[in-house]
Amino acid sequence: MELHQVRYFLAVASTLNFTRAAEQCNVTQPALTKGVQKLEQELGGQLLYRERQLTQLTDLGKEVLPMLERTLASAEAVRRRAKEFQRKEVAPLKIGLAPTISASLVLDPIAEIARFVPGLQVELREGAAEKLVDLLLEGEINAAVVGDVRDIPPRIDDWSLFEERYVAVLAPTHKLANRPSIGIDDLQETVLLDRSGCDVAPKIKRSYFPEQPPRFGHCSGHDLHLQHMAAAGFGVILAPEHMPRLPMLKTIPLEGDQVSREVRLLAVQGRRYSPALDAFVKVARLRDWSIEVRHRGTPQETFSEVASASA
Amino acid sequence: MTATRTPPANHFQPIDPQSDASPRPNQIDKTFAQIRSELLATFSPADWESYNHLVGWLRDTGVASYALNVGDTAPDFLLPDADGRLHSSEQLRRNGPLVLSFFRGGWCPFCTAELCALQAAKDEFENLGATLAVVTPETRHFPRQLKQSLGLELKVLSDVDYAVAMSYGVLFRVPDETKAHYSGLGFDFGARHGSPVWMLPIPATYVIDTDGRIRSAFVEPDFTVREEPAQILSSLRRAASTS
Repeated sequence: MELHQVRYFLAVASTLNFTRAAEQCNVTQPALTKGVQKLEQELGGQLLYRERQLTQLTDLGKEVLPMLERTLASAEAVRRRAKEFQRKEVAPLKIGLAPTISASLVLDPIAEIARFVPGLQVELREGAAEKLVDLLLEGEINAAVVGDVRDIPPRIDDWSLFEERYVAVLAPTHKLANRPSIGIDDLQETVLLDRSGCDVAPKIKRSYFPEQPPRFGHCSGHDLHLQHMAAAGFGVILAPEHMPRLPMLKTIPLEGDQVSREVRLLAVQGRRYSPALDAFVKVARLRDWSIEVRHRGTPQETFSEVASASA
Repeated sequence: MTATRTPPANHFQPIDPQSDASPRPNQIDKTFAQIRSELLATFSPADWESYNHLVGWLRDTGVASYALNVGDTAPDFLLPDADGRLHSSEQLRRNGPLVLSFFRGGWCPFCTAELCALQAAKDEFENLGATLAVVTPETRHFPRQLKQSLGLELKVLSDVDYAVAMSYGVLFRVPDETKAHYSGLGFDFGARHGSPVWMLPIPATYVIDTDGRIRSAFVEPDFTVREEPAQILSSLRRAASTS
């Protein structure tokens, strides 16, 4: 398929009007129509209903639209980068992080894209996943890194980055501090520090507290607060494995590693990608996150010995 | 482990249990054409049917006619490699010609055979001052896994969201029949590409000079046919003598 065909189709999809789409693309209407028809041929069906004054997307049109938007956005981001580069423009990038996502996760990707986006200025915002989804839709942030989220709206693109387990974090003086792992019975008898707004709370409850609720002690929505309280001996925290810890704290795996979650990258569909956002999304989707999570990063990688010829 | 969950259709399946193809040992000395005939000999009737259908469809639709050709300006790009490090086209062609080869993915035995042939010729490319980069639509750990399993030292770039294949005019939407065949073999391009719509490049090899102009183009809708490294090397020598 050709880039300009895709551009024509996206213009019609956004204006729902061939005349205006042709103006927008700076071509004659027959040229635009022909381009869209060629794209339809290649995609194997009609993308648009054309009924007199009414132009609408077909089901196929709706299906391919987000992907084509992303592809075109990415192609155009490259061109804009060259311009920004020449003009030495500031390139803002606002990234939302859920409270259980450490900023340490995005430092390396930021350093990587700064090599190619010289005016890069990153702003990090912390918020609960649902709040970050709202900020994305409002255009207040460009991307978000979150843990488990319920009900991601269809307008949000969502890529799984890696999976990680939850571990127990406690003071070295805690009575469980010398265990190789912590089992369900011990956990049920221990005071836990309550992480407010915790995205894996339902999983923790299901796996370790199916009958009675945990014995919660003090509470905070902020990981560092919880760590300080754990260090003071107030209780045990359950924390995602990638989270950097105060040096005096100890980490102990939970027996059976029953609680884990996926860390996901979110961005809004159909929006123009700035060169900085485009590069961030690309780096994040290729990065070897197992560097952050030593015990379990990317899915099990197994290699077959022999290729099978299949068409 | 977490319980298996079923994401909604428009979200991407994160885990793909399929492991990638590796070449048989002692195939390094053969030409790609020799390996191709061996691979074709192992085709099942279903493989043949799917192969003929896809190649016939690509020819009928004229997909390859959109591909960029000799003399065209090569679109610039910024892509991550298998380790998430970015590479810009300007940087890759700064000190010599860039050989850019689009392949379908680590699941495709013709692609892995081509990659091994390119790897074997890597020194010869370097001796000519050329940079070799291969481009896959696959994301996440898949390119990394491919490099490890084949022992590749090539730059494997990931064309996240297909923008580069589209800019070069070598991208197509996988027809439904082909999609059914590949799904049946356990290949989930949705998980591999991070895209709910299945797209693939036509295998294509370009030689791009330091000014960003295309000096040679090999675009072949028959995905079992690739440009022999020897052929690319002679294009490079020819380009060097005429520039």
